[in-house]
Amino acid sequence: MSRQYVLLIEDNDDDIELTRRAFARNHILNELVVARDGAEASALLFSEDREQLLPQFILLDLKLPKISGLELLKEIRANPRTALIPTVILTSSKQDEDLIEGYRLGVNSYVRKPVDFNEFVEAVRQVGLYWLVINQPPPADD
Amino acid sequence: MADIRTPDAISSVPLGDVLERITDGIFALDADWRIVYINSRARELLDARDRRLLGERYLDAFPKARDASFAREYRAAMDDQHPRAFVEHSRTVDRWFEVQVYPSANGLSIYFRDITDRIEAERELAERSQQQHALIEFGRTALGRIGTNRLMGDALELLLTYLDLPYAEIYLYDPTSKRYRFGEVAGLGDEVAPHEAPPLSGDAVDDLVAGHFILSEDVRADERFTDRATLIRLGIESAYCLPVGTAETPLALVTLYGSRDAVANASRRRFADGVATTLGEALRAKNARQRNREILESINDAFVACDAELHITYVNERMAQFWQRPADQLIGMSLEAFARRAEDADVIASYRAAIVSGKSSAFETFMVDRQRWFETRVYPFAGGVAGYVRDITRRKSAELQIRELNVELERRVRERTHQLELANADLESFSYSVSHDLRAPLRAIDGFSQALEEDYAATLDGEGLRFLRRVRSAARRMSELIDALLDLARIARRPMSFVPVDLSKVAQGVVEDLRREDATRDVRAFVQDGLHAYGEPALIRACLDNLIGNAWKFTRDVPAAEIHVGSDAPGAFFVRDNGAGFDMAYANKLFGAFQRLHAPEEFEGTGVGLATVAKIVQRHGGGISGEGSVGQGATFTFTLPMEAPQRQ
Repeated sequence: MSRQYVLLIEDNDDDIELTRRAFARNHILNELVVARDGAEASALLFSEDREQLLPQFILLDLKLPKISGLELLKEIRANPRTALIPTVILTSSKQDEDLIEGYRLGVNSYVRKPVDFNEFVEAVRQVGLYWLVINQPPPADD
Repeated sequence: MADIRTPDAISSVPLGDVLERITDGIFALDADWRIVYINSRARELLDARDRRLLGERYLDAFPKARDASFAREYRAAMDDQHPRAFVEHSRTVDRWFEVQVYPSANGLSIYFRDITDRIEAERELAERSQQQHALIEFGRTALGRIGTNRLMGDALELLLTYLDLPYAEIYLYDPTSKRYRFGEVAGLGDEVAPHEAPPLSGDAVDDLVAGHFILSEDVRADERFTDRATLIRLGIESAYCLPVGTAETPLALVTLYGSRDAVANASRRRFADGVATTLGEALRAKNARQRNREILESINDAFVACDAELHITYVNERMAQFWQRPADQLIGMSLEAFARRAEDADVIASYRAAIVSGKSSAFETFMVDRQRWFETRVYPFAGGVAGYVRDITRRKSAELQIRELNVELERRVRERTHQLELANADLESFSYSVSHDLRAPLRAIDGFSQALEEDYAATLDGEGLRFLRRVRSAARRMSELIDALLDLARIARRPMSFVPVDLSKVAQGVVEDLRREDATRDVRAFVQDGLHAYGEPALIRACLDNLIGNAWKFTRDVPAAEIHVGSDAPGAFFVRDNGAGFDMAYANKLFGAFQRLHAPEEFEGTGVGLATVAKIVQRHGGGISGEGSVGQGATFTFTLPMEAPQRQ
């Protein structure tokens, strides 16, 4: 695992593949690590192993099996180790409730997945560009 | 008469003329009782103008004087030689004379004058005074008489006694049949079969009921009297029929029968009138008492009246039942005698409080031993207090039932509300799923179609590529439909606020946005100023977005496109265009979701816009209708509240 990676928390294989394709189309070379549910993501993010690297930013789907995206977000923000990781909700939902709760829990950005693939590619491009290049990340612990 | 001292003077001739002129009757008797002198006035008074008299013996000339005071007094005067004076009735002429007798050795000189008028006046005065006393006494006792028969008996006795009548009747008026019915008879009762109704003609009875009396001086020839045979048999000459009461409320009829003198005499009739009036007052008072009693007995409430010391003065039958004692036993008892239970003390305290404060009160008590609810109302009056007690157990149990029903109803409403909340929650999770789960496959369809197009363009021919594009177009369209459906659901659930909204301003904003988005269009938009309503601003904006947006869209093919936004009645607004219009035959389909009157190739759209508008208007409590014809444009009219609705 390289040092620089983006964590995609997503259970839908289609969306995973389309996201990978969008990364590729936009020439984003950072590794895309996928967690298929909240449990996998927890294992990765809240590992006892201090050597375990944390992602540069997280793309978080809301509708996940076992643990919902918003619950996971709450845990990410509650854990001192992960609290500052830039997290972007990437979801089909545009329910007001999800938007409000997402921002309340401290999400950095909320992006709705467009159905049109070209638009999706553009969205991924902008998100990647912003969080990987333009945005200044918080200083690392070590 | 002081100058006439001796009978000697009478024989002297010079005095003769004087004596003739004196207005008193004068005659003289000698020792043998022969009439030796009589003046013309005496002849006149004794109805003996043409008789000789002189020289005749007095008792031969006037034999009827023998048994009267005349003979006795004259004899006594001759015997004791003392003058005397007396008053006596002369049977000879049926007159009253005041007589003075002066004796002498030769005989008697007798002076007399007719005092019949004075005597009769005195007698009438005495009679009237007696009658007055009797009337007053009757009035005093009559009002206290409890039995009507006793009252009528008293009245008849009075009439018979003081008017010297042989026969009198009283009939009582019956308001139901509007006729008189036999009441009481006195006098010749045994000799006359009582009449059920007065023996009078119908017209006569009507007259009497109307308040007019009937005085018949000769009943034997009066056809108003239907039983003349009996009257003739009894030797009755006259009758006086006297209505008691008023024309409005006739009470009775008093009929007096007797001689013409007894009945037709004005002063006697006055007495009869007095008796009738008193009888009327007594009957009226009795009726009023009876009515009050009947009212108190007939009311469903138990009723008790007490004096200021709470001694019972009256109870009706229901109260007697309530206390389970006969009414007459209760009279005079103290209310406190009934205080057996704790709640009774409160009841008695409230009676006392009413007397002290002069204010009425009402309270409800549950009597444990009877297992019933009672309502007591206490009313003070001068010198006492009255109480009405009513069994309100049924009302109470009805109230209780209503309360229970209300509780049950509230419980059901809560349950139903809970169910609705659950249903709403279901709906929300459903729309969440729709928004999330239905879109994911669409994104896959579109994404992989494009991947195919990009990565495998070389192996696909033109037709294949065209199919791929159609797949992608369909996916996008389905995505739009899902979004529109979600918007519609969101409008239905959105919390409402009612604030003033400037529709003119909102409409102007919509038009400006449309111009910005599509600068190529040349549309003349007319928005009336001052359009105001109350509602949820975001929803009203969405409503006008849709309506004006539609107008904008459907005027695309019209050379001089016009859109009018205005109001033609308070609270009623319209959006009118001169565009494609629609066939009124399909007007009922305008506001259904996914209903489209145009093919997607003609005009794009999801078919949800007007359903959304209808939902918005409906949530404001308004209505919407559309009018149009193909190629002639369309007008949509909708209503919105003109003031904030009352909170419920």
